[in-house]
Amino acid sequence: MPPTRPSTRNARRRTVRQILGGVRRRVRRAAGRVRSVWRRSLQLQVVTSTLVISVTVVVVLGTFLSDEINRSVIASSQQSALNEAYADRLQIADALIPPSDDGAKAADADQKVNPLDQVMDTVTGSGEDGSKKRYDVLILNEATPGMSRASGRVVQADVPASLRQRLQRYMNRAEYGKTEVSIETIRFAGQSQATLTFVVAGVVHETLTGEDYQVYHFFPFNEEEELLSNVRLAIVVVGLGLVLLLAAIAYLVTRQVVTPVRLARQAAERLAAGKLDERLKVRGEDDLARLANSFNEMAANLALKIHQLEELSQVQRQFVSDVSHELRTPLTTVRMAADLLYDAREDFDPMAARSAELMQAQLERFESMLADLLEISRYDAGAATLDIDSVDMRDVVHRAIADSEALAERHSTRFDIRLPHEPCMVEVDNRRVERILRNLLFNAIEHGEGREIVVTVGADRDAVAVAVRDHGIGLKPGEETMVFDRFWRADPSRARTIGGTGLGLAISREDAVLHGGWLQAWGQPGEGSQFRLTLPRLAGADLKGSPLSLVPPEIEMRRTWRSHMTPVLLPASGDGGGHDED
Amino acid sequence: MTRTRRMGAAVAIAAAVACAGSGCTVIPVTGPYTVSDAGGGDPLNKPFQRMIAVAPRDDWDPELLVKGLQAAMAAYPDDPSVLAKYLTPKAQAKWKPSGPVTVIEDVYQVDPVEGDAAETYGLKAKQVARIDPDDAYVPLSGNAPERLFVLKKDARGVYRVDDLPDGLLLTKSDVARAYRLTNLYYLNSARERLVVDRVCLRLKPTETFAQTIVRRLLKGPSGALRGAVGTVFPEGTEVESIGTGDDRVVINLSGPLLPLDLGEKAALVAQLKYSLTNNKVAISRTIEVQVEGEQYWTEPPNSETHWLDNGGNTPYYTNKGSVHVMSNNEGAGVAVSGPAGESNTDFKAFALSTQQTGAIVAARTSTGISIAGLTPEGRWQQVIEGADLTDPTWRRDGSLWTFDQHNKVVLRYDPNGGHGPERVSAPGLDGLDVTALRIARDGVRVALRTGKNTVQLGALSEGLNGPMLGNLQTLTSTEVEYEIEDIAWEDDEHLLVLIKSKAGQILNEIDIGDGETIGIPLKDRLERVTALIGRVLAEANTDKGPKIIELNPDRQGWTSRIDPSAKNPFFPLG
Repeated sequence: MPPTRPSTRNARRRTVRQILGGVRRRVRRAAGRVRSVWRRSLQLQVVTSTLVISVTVVVVLGTFLSDEINRSVIASSQQSALNEAYADRLQIADALIPPSDDGAKAADADQKVNPLDQVMDTVTGSGEDGSKKRYDVLILNEATPGMSRASGRVVQADVPASLRQRLQRYMNRAEYGKTEVSIETIRFAGQSQATLTFVVAGVVHETLTGEDYQVYHFFPFNEEEELLSNVRLAIVVVGLGLVLLLAAIAYLVTRQVVTPVRLARQAAERLAAGKLDERLKVRGEDDLARLANSFNEMAANLALKIHQLEELSQVQRQFVSDVSHELRTPLTTVRMAADLLYDAREDFDPMAARSAELMQAQLERFESMLADLLEISRYDAGAATLDIDSVDMRDVVHRAIADSEALAERHSTRFDIRLPHEPCMVEVDNRRVERILRNLLFNAIEHGEGREIVVTVGADRDAVAVAVRDHGIGLKPGEETMVFDRFWRADPSRARTIGGTGLGLAISREDAVLHGGWLQAWGQPGEGSQFRLTLPRLAGADLKGSPLSLVPPEIEMRRTWRSHMTPVLLPASGDGGGHDED
Repeated sequence: MTRTRRMGAAVAIAAAVACAGSGCTVIPVTGPYTVSDAGGGDPLNKPFQRMIAVAPRDDWDPELLVKGLQAAMAAYPDDPSVLAKYLTPKAQAKWKPSGPVTVIEDVYQVDPVEGDAAETYGLKAKQVARIDPDDAYVPLSGNAPERLFVLKKDARGVYRVDDLPDGLLLTKSDVARAYRLTNLYYLNSARERLVVDRVCLRLKPTETFAQTIVRRLLKGPSGALRGAVGTVFPEGTEVESIGTGDDRVVINLSGPLLPLDLGEKAALVAQLKYSLTNNKVAISRTIEVQVEGEQYWTEPPNSETHWLDNGGNTPYYTNKGSVHVMSNNEGAGVAVSGPAGESNTDFKAFALSTQQTGAIVAARTSTGISIAGLTPEGRWQQVIEGADLTDPTWRRDGSLWTFDQHNKVVLRYDPNGGHGPERVSAPGLDGLDVTALRIARDGVRVALRTGKNTVQLGALSEGLNGPMLGNLQTLTSTEVEYEIEDIAWEDDEHLLVLIKSKAGQILNEIDIGDGETIGIPLKDRLERVTALIGRVLAEANTDKGPKIIELNPDRQGWTSRIDPSAKNPFFPLG
């Protein structure tokens, strides 16, 4: 079917691309892991450095040694071969001199053995009592028949052509004292493989007859080759062993140093985690022992300071709590008096009436601030508890919006509510979540500059999220976390129009954390801001991600189009895990 | 520091000190310590030199061309390509290198043949020997037939050989250079003793001498022993390889060797061992035989075997007709027990079957040959009748042999056969006057004196109708005025020939393999000789009467052993 073909092909192409992408990702991940291990392990760095340096040293030394041994072994063998060849040529020259007494020669001509045979017997050890020599000899006289001899497997064709040409040149120029050498790989008759052979060539010139004898000596160098091969193998094995030994030594030495450092790091980590009584064991009097001593002193001082600070903080918190509680009683009386004045303001002159109204308003704000302070002090004291109930998040959102509608109308702000059709059941403290949402909505109205506020609810299997998006002035970089600080204000000169205490978002975050959820903010100057509350569906469960993106979808799409991915915003599209630690 | 660390530190310091200490000396002084000598040298090879043939040069005259061609013949088996360069295409197509190899003296003449229209040159030389295609070395003497070489100028005006006789022509030096006389060992008919066969093998540069020997051994004996000796190697046996181990020579064979029984395996290894070690190959090495790589038999060196048994090595002699055992030191020996130990001047020319239990002595009388056991209850019994019988000789199978000169037949008597003497087929002896017959101690070879001047060798084989004497060939012959007085086997390879010449007596030791003759100096007149493995005894006739003398180990003089009246020295068999 024609329509299916391209789709199949596309699917296949996609699959191949996906496989390649997967492989690339895995490789990158593995490289990342290796890089991470490398960066984190001092021991690994030292051992690796030692390995690299020792390999370099061993390679350089081994090459030098190998070359030196090669040169000396070959030079010694060549010298010995040259000596033997020279001695043989002298013997041959001596034997080939015809006897001076012609009469004697004629007399025993019948019994006389060819002098070439005699000298070859001596030279090659092929006589009756001779023993085999380690080399073969070829004597070549191309001018006289029957005056060429060879021992072993050597034939005329085994002589390297270049060597023969050079010898021929010397003979043509009557230069007989020259010796030519060559190292060749020669495969002699009947041999299955070629032999490395040192060929020594010289000319024996018989002056009386004027005959030239080319004398070639073939010294097998396979023993030298085997010896040098063994030496090279030994150098490689010893070098390898040395490298491994050095690596092992480096490992042991660094272990001696790194182990106390590692113990110190673990102790520091435990100290950082709040275990202030963590101390290092002190052994000996070396540098590491002094480090341990210093660490222990530092830990003791730190613990003392922290303890003092904690006490101070406790005193401060207690003071705030006490002041708040203590202020409530006079405030109630003041309030009652203010209520009376407010109720009777119509009887006052306008100035007094306005003062009564102002006092009423500021008292309400004061009460609210006092309530927030008390709430915060409860969190600080660890006394905040949850009243868990299973609720539909859509209802909670509706209620919060209903509470905010009056304010929204005042700011001419409209809500765009985007809720799922299915119920979003979640186990939460209804009151606190509602307070969080109210805070977020009041914030959005205050900073939304009358523009539309989008409230989105999202849910998945594990979590429920509510995002409140405004299109106001937005947040500057770095303000995403600062907004949750107590009494933080983006523009301190700006007046609070809705009478916020400056503690709303701080309390909201505490509420979210108490639920095991996240409260995160996103904002860009001119693009508005978005606050996202994510809560686990089951109380006490760990959050792994959020059903809604922290960055608004339209901003995300715009970024994708422009292929501009700001590193700061990268994690926001994921699970938001980077924001759960406050 | 813990104890382990302290120990580690101590070991490290000790190692460092040892390293530093040994590093100061290039070769440290050590020992004494024991090392293995095995593996030194090459036990499988004999060094040899070869002729290298060179191509003919354009400026060579006919004489040089023919000499170059002869040199190329010497190198032909190693490199056949050069010889072809001496020949015209016609000669290349016609000439055949096969056939017997002619061996001539080193110095020869090449002269143009007068009166021949073509440019023909004759090569004249004294002949030395002939190497037959079966590798037998046949010594020859006299002038070799002239070999003619027809030369022709080619298109460039350069001489090439257009016609020449078939076969290779080598000089004595060529043979000495590239050939080795080699003893191969085969089995006699009873397969209880080895028989040596001397062949002339060409050394090959592409294989070891050991391989050459074993390959030739597998081919079977040369013509002199064909049919008379056997081998246990089955048809189809091949040599795969011969190599050396630590202290051994490993012979890897292939073929149907596995069905052989234990005795045959031992004989096989004996053939290999003696064929190698008696040619100075694999001496004092363990010989391991493998069949297709699997271990088959391991023979340690110097193992005692019976394969070259000679039936005893004690010499005997007679004193006034009484057979005595010769003592080791000077002085008279002891008479043997039985009738042979009693004095009886009727008996002469004694021979002893063996030194073992049941030994029988034989002696010739004027009416025939009698035998008697060497036991007190034995008695003389004439077993072969005849007035013209040669001296009795025993074969190692226990049979008594002689030649009836009257009837011209070889007679054989088996004391255990239960019947009288029987005639032995000897077709080669028809019409010949055999005056002496000696069977060697190997029981196969036979030496015969025919007439007064010739010694022939033959071999005894087992035919369908009993033993047969064949493979006859002349070993030596003397001039007509000389007379061969006695012959005696010294060992399996050497025969002693006592010759009477005008100038006096000559005692020659002749190598039956290559005909090499060594003269032994004489002082007294000898009547009779006998020998066994380098020990030569003779009956000398002096003014004071007969005495027995022995050749000194240096073979230059004689020592008197027993005198007077001691005669007829003889060893068992031979």
